[in-house]
Amino acid sequence: MTGDTHYDLEVLAELAEGLLDDSTARRVREHLALCDPCGESLADLAAVREVLAAVPVPAMPLGVAMRLDRALAAEAPDWDRVMRDAPWESAHVPWESARWENAAPQGAPQENGVNAPEATPLRLTADALTPDALIADALAADALTPDALTADADQTVRAPRRPAPRRTEARGRAEVRRPAGRRTPRRNRWAMPVAAAAAAVAVIGGAGLATGLLSSGNTPQGYALGQADTSAAPTKSVKDKTSYLVAASGHNYTGRELKGPLLGYFGVGPASGSNADTVLDACVKRTSARLDRTPIGVDKALYNGNEATIMAFWEDKASNAVRVVVVDSDCHRLRAEDLATWK
Amino acid sequence: MNSPPEDPSTAQHDGRPVLSDADLLTRHIGGDPHAFSEIVKRHRDRMWAVALRTLGDPDEAADAVQDAFVSAYRKAESFRGEAAVTTWLHRIVVNACLDRMRRKSVRPVADDELIEAAERDAPLTDQAGEREVSLEVTAALKVLPPDQRAALVLVDMMGYSVDDAAAVLGVPAGTVKSRCARGRAKLAPILSHLRNRSDLTRVSSAKGAELRDG
Repeated sequence: MTGDTHYDLEVLAELAEGLLDDSTARRVREHLALCDPCGESLADLAAVREVLAAVPVPAMPLGVAMRLDRALAAEAPDWDRVMRDAPWESAHVPWESARWENAAPQGAPQENGVNAPEATPLRLTADALTPDALIADALAADALTPDALTADADQTVRAPRRPAPRRTEARGRAEVRRPAGRRTPRRNRWAMPVAAAAAAVAVIGGAGLATGLLSSGNTPQGYALGQADTSAAPTKSVKDKTSYLVAASGHNYTGRELKGPLLGYFGVGPASGSNADTVLDACVKRTSARLDRTPIGVDKALYNGNEATIMAFWEDKASNAVRVVVVDSDCHRLRAEDLATWK
Repeated sequence: MNSPPEDPSTAQHDGRPVLSDADLLTRHIGGDPHAFSEIVKRHRDRMWAVALRTLGDPDEAADAVQDAFVSAYRKAESFRGEAAVTTWLHRIVVNACLDRMRRKSVRPVADDELIEAAERDAPLTDQAGEREVSLEVTAALKVLPPDQRAALVLVDMMGYSVDDAAAVLGVPAGTVKSRCARGRAKLAPILSHLRNRSDLTRVSSAKGAELRDG
């Protein structure tokens, strides 16, 4: 067979795998000794093995590992254990919202005077006592179905039962956190026009109840509920072009991880955090405006050990390319923008 | 990480003897609430890699791995000890992946369409070379029927022996070889342009896992 006929790749692959019977194998080998194209094909086959072996083996992303832990914890027969490890009980701890609440006002001081006091997510503030906010509270209380109660034991359960004391308590907290002098700019936010409220809804784009709460006054519980509703909603809303998720994974990203795939970090874990943090929101908006596109994901986390906000924007959706922006709490870039893969 | 069989490695960092996977599974069946998490911690990266390679989609892979581990948790009693625990886990994960692929009946992709996609994906930046290869391989694997894909993931990508892969897949070794051969024959025209690339070095993810696990 030294003429125009060549063996096809499958026969050559079977030869390499030792699957051909002796006489056929001998015939193919004799042909290979004389036929360059078939020799090339055999080399291509060997290259396939090399290429496959060279693909790096990824570690399971943090978000997936945590989701898995929660799923398995829910399997445990012991009721106390189930309760302790359930997502609504443990959500705060892994996602470390507390650290951000504390870190942001101190770490991002008055330089950005108007926005700085906003960095107290997941807490009601003194301004919740304005008439608008009272209405919002009433609406929020109405909106709290039994499902919502179980969804977030930490914050919402107390709300509908004792609305008045809660507000007092909230004010106490807020005043400890925020010097009184910064109240005025914040008040403006509560007088936010309907359009802006709608924008806040678009930003979160999560569970129905959460958006309901937001549109009725931007009460912080909305985020907590969105956070509790972990598994399904976030991954879906990632694909929604008009919204972005604010995650607070606290994950310490390395440069290598930021090359992607990022979906495991941004898409699979629960979304928490808050666009009540307007320092962050302003930074995201500024970056969006500069790049002229909406982010697909925002994560408050760490970058090489430093607190950082990671934003992901589509560079080219068709080719799975994502532009990654890493900034510190002052919206200064921590590293050059780079491209990564999403999936 | 070359083969699924048990690796009762010598000792832990703190000097305590390490329980084998089989011991942990026995403890789990006996009601030890921490035993199964230890098994998960040991093997989740490999299971993730298998699922991600087989399915080519992180969302799908996350669901498959979770389904698989939950299923393993529930049916731990059915593990008879005639195979290694890792083989048993691999089998559950691979089956979860194959189930998903069959249910979704993934749209077959024409070869030229795929090559176009690979070319479109190709040039990001120089340092993204490894990324690029990864993307191309992921895209290319999707051309293969599920059985061939699963075999190639285990043998060529994860580096398991044909016998181990056969145990995981529950088929004779000859079947694994033949699935691998047919799979490679389909991939060769798509991936041949990557021949002789200097950056084809296997990079370990140990560092990433270490960072994550603290």
